[in-house]
Amino acid sequence: MSGCDFWGTNVKRHQITRACLFIGALFGATPGWSADAGELAGSICMACHGEGGNSVVPNFPKLSGQHATYLEKQLNEFLSGKRRNDVMAPILDSFSKQDVPALAAWYAAQKPTPGTVGDPGLLAAGKAIYEDGNVETGVPGCMGCHQPRAQGNARYPRLAGQHQAYTLQQMNDFKSGVRDNDKGKVMRAVAERMTEQEMQAVAEYMASLQ
Amino acid sequence: MKKHLFILSLLLAAATQTGAEENQPHAAGIESDGYVWNAMYAEKLQALSARGDALRGEIAFEICQGCHRATALGRPDGSYPRLAGQHATVLIKQMTDVRAGRRDNKKMFPFIDKHAVTPQEIADIAVYLQALPVPPDNGKGDGNNLARGEEIYARDCIVCHGNKGQGDSARFYPRVSGQHYKYLLRESILIRNGDRRNANPDMVSTIKPYDDKDLQAVADYMSRFAP
Repeated sequence: MSGCDFWGTNVKRHQITRACLFIGALFGATPGWSADAGELAGSICMACHGEGGNSVVPNFPKLSGQHATYLEKQLNEFLSGKRRNDVMAPILDSFSKQDVPALAAWYAAQKPTPGTVGDPGLLAAGKAIYEDGNVETGVPGCMGCHQPRAQGNARYPRLAGQHQAYTLQQMNDFKSGVRDNDKGKVMRAVAERMTEQEMQAVAEYMASLQ
Repeated sequence: MKKHLFILSLLLAAATQTGAEENQPHAAGIESDGYVWNAMYAEKLQALSARGDALRGEIAFEICQGCHRATALGRPDGSYPRLAGQHATVLIKQMTDVRAGRRDNKKMFPFIDKHAVTPQEIADIAVYLQALPVPPDNGKGDGNNLARGEEIYARDCIVCHGNKGQGDSARFYPRVSGQHYKYLLRESILIRNGDRRNANPDMVSTIKPYDDKDLQAVADYMSRFAP
């Protein structure tokens, strides 16, 4: 394969690699990731997760700026089968456990693009859920773990600027139990208490944060 | 027949309950014969004898912050209590009692369950919270009946909860100063009515004679102690 048709633009693989390496160089020498990780990201992951991890397809998550600890956990759990996804399944032959730390560190070092707000009318309700939760139904405020601006930390993922559609899908998957690799079963307990409207609103609000 | 069908449908409903949220277990409490207040059992002893670490506690407390807030000051509407400045012993007792199902709290259970925190983390969280500052901006009552509140407090509460509402760490008596009025009132009513099942029987018999108006007065009085 010498290139791929990427939303109407024929991009050569080496161009992508070079672009990624250039982006990497802009951020200086970050320990933990190598040119190999950038090449892997640029050749395999980019088709869905976008250049520099900034996916432009709402169903596919942005990985740019995500915490390396979270990315490592997810990648390892895709490999072990603890997290399952039909789109990721055929990709799992393309990398191994040894690639995970460098790949995670590479994506963590990429600069995230701002998120897109689809329905600004949901932002106020989303902010209320994000900060205060729902006292009646026992939904905790998301910011307790995910931090005041959804920036996450070493233990909880960054959600700021993430695609609303992706975040919403994950909450629904936690609610139904389709996704069950959450730490301490906490996200399943939270999502189970949330209504569809609450999830839509809070996902929209998180997409609006940077 | 109708009754049987009803019971069957209840059983079916219970059996088909879906989702991940686990039900809080049910442990014998004050409603049962031979209830011993603050009885020790393995997990509580384990947490009480562990050396708590405040830094680890700050991290373990993250999953509590969505409700109790980042500085553990709870909410003035009483929905979630202040935990900042509470005695570590009291916090450990309450956390392990909720976990064991001796204090009913369905909302909190998934976040204090064994999947979420270890006994060591319970100890860590407790020492972290105990040292947090307690500002005087807690929720207060309407201030209309403070003389009655003071009278009740001096007669029946001061012996255990102290002249400044400071409680008694060694005896597992909670600090009440700096706590939100609405939380103090809600728990007082639960204790009086026998609905807080891990309550101290002495506390229950002491609070029994008081009506809601009295409890409002004394909760208001307690909420005004300088924290």
